[in-house]
Amino acid sequence: MNKLKKEPLFKVKDLVIDLYTEQVSVRAVDSVNLEVNAGEILAVVGESGSGKTVMTLGPLGLLPEGVSVDIRGQSQCSGQDLLNKPARELAKLRGENFGIIFQDPISALNPMKKVGPQLASQAVRLRGVSKQQGKEIAIELLQRTGIPDPEDRYNRYPHEMSGGMLQRVMIALALVGNPKILIADEPITALDATVQAQILELLKDIQCRENIAIILITHDISVVAQMADQVAVLYAGRIAEYGTMEDVLTRPVHPYTKGLLSSVPDLRSKRGENASGPAGITGSPPDQSSLLPGCRFVERCPVAQTFCSKFRPPLEVLPHLSQRHFVACPVAVESTIEQMEGEAYEQ
Amino acid sequence: MLNKHSLSTLATWPWAVLTPVLLFVAIAIFALWISPYDPTTQNYSAVLQGSSWEHWLGTDYLGRDLLSRIITGAQVSLVAMSIVLIAALIIGVTIGSFAGYVGGKTELVLISAIDIILSLPSLVVALAFIGIIGPGYWSMIAALTMAWWANYARMSRAVVTSELHQPYIEAARVMGASHLHIFVRHILPHVLALVVVYASADAGALVLAIATLSFLGLGVEPPTPEWGQMLVDGMNYLEQYPRLVVLPGLALTLVVSSFNLLGEHFALKKVPRGLTQRHLKILKRLRAQEEARISELEASA
Repeated sequence: MNKLKKEPLFKVKDLVIDLYTEQVSVRAVDSVNLEVNAGEILAVVGESGSGKTVMTLGPLGLLPEGVSVDIRGQSQCSGQDLLNKPARELAKLRGENFGIIFQDPISALNPMKKVGPQLASQAVRLRGVSKQQGKEIAIELLQRTGIPDPEDRYNRYPHEMSGGMLQRVMIALALVGNPKILIADEPITALDATVQAQILELLKDIQCRENIAIILITHDISVVAQMADQVAVLYAGRIAEYGTMEDVLTRPVHPYTKGLLSSVPDLRSKRGENASGPAGITGSPPDQSSLLPGCRFVERCPVAQTFCSKFRPPLEVLPHLSQRHFVACPVAVESTIEQMEGEAYEQ
Repeated sequence: MLNKHSLSTLATWPWAVLTPVLLFVAIAIFALWISPYDPTTQNYSAVLQGSSWEHWLGTDYLGRDLLSRIITGAQVSLVAMSIVLIAALIIGVTIGSFAGYVGGKTELVLISAIDIILSLPSLVVALAFIGIIGPGYWSMIAALTMAWWANYARMSRAVVTSELHQPYIEAARVMGASHLHIFVRHILPHVLALVVVYASADAGALVLAIATLSFLGLGVEPPTPEWGQMLVDGMNYLEQYPRLVVLPGLALTLVVSSFNLLGEHFALKKVPRGLTQRHLKILKRLRAQEEARISELEASA
């Protein structure tokens, strides 16, 4: 795995994000380490409020106004430090390196402007081309994102197009600046099933063709299985499990990941055969407004020990071949290693 | 609801904008006790005196204590202003919301009437009204109310029409809520949230309008001390004794600007903004302490 030696494209190290309002102080992201290499798809999975969006958008200065944010740690994009940057420079960096696809394309596009000119004006701004060239680029992008008859669509208003088409326009808009990293914040949640598959295919296609890294924020496990190279499972602002998609989804170790996977309804199980349905995880995520010692998952954890609420579980590497499967649960790691040794012994 | 938390945020209250207004209200409420003399008692042996220990701000041409008159003037202004504001709010919100809720022809008629009133300067409307019913304290209040309500009606209508299409109104209707219930429980809070903020900024303008009408001799009648009135009285002595005009004018300016500040503050509050640097610093320090405590706990375990 020589990938490890290469400097990653996007990296966060010991990232801590505190959000302050007049009422509460929330630790949204708690010492997170992540790396994304060029041409790789990293899926960030977790429940609502687990810090997925804050973790990815926070370092880019894209958190909603009205909350005071305190970010500590490191965040780098192709060697450049993203934190401690003046807002202007950060905005420039964002335009050049990142493309962002939001959940709801209908509200992310200006309803008063035709979609084509919205693209073209960004092309003019980010690539420094003339208006005519901007228009050409816009039409080309519309074509590339699989929009039929792009010349005609160029002059359409957002309300004249379907959700799937608009999401394609959003993707085109995200690609205008020739980004190195595409951040897709639940890109298919607002779309219906058939369109979802098309959009995912398009994203995968773009990632392959242009060697763009994608950070995919989602809570849909099937999307992860289809798309991701790497998976980071976030729980209450901390990484529970992090590794390649095969490792995390087929050999989950952390009790939270296991719970998350068993919460997905299985299409193949017949009614009655699996009467209990998806197992799910009992309880609800902890209140993140006060810091507590120990593991955040302890109240809902089926394998919790007394020491779990005493100190914070470190991220440990599992002795797989890949050497890139990290789990923050000493209890589960120990039993998995025992099991692996047992299997090896039998063989 | 004065728990520990609200006490800790007391330090972050906008005291800078609250203090002037609270001071004005306190002076108005306790006017009777804090004014050193009776504001209407004339004393011909002490006419047009400068400031002294007996009369801190001196006396006017009838020997009345200026400080007492300014203090009592605050009371007169506050009372008249509150009556007008409350009446205008009630009338405006009722008519405006009704127009917005009912819609159709009724709305068209009402909103046209509101627009007609709004197209005229409010002081002109008030003057015309006083012209019809004659000058006096209560006709001044009635006239100002007539001139002021249209603004609130306009705003209420706008809020009602936009809220009326929200899904939660539909949900309430599906669950069989009556119109009155929907309006009072679901729409009125939105209306008040906007209108009351606007009214707090408007209070200053209203104090000024009361003074203007009294200045023109159409409002508060002479023996009652009123700031606008005091300006007229002082006019004749402007050259020799400018303080007779300057001091009530100053009081007026301070009150108007402090209400404007308050209104501005409320308006800004409606826009979500981060915490003040000071507040953030306090919270960060608390967080750091918490962090240190946790790491100590984890280390000892």
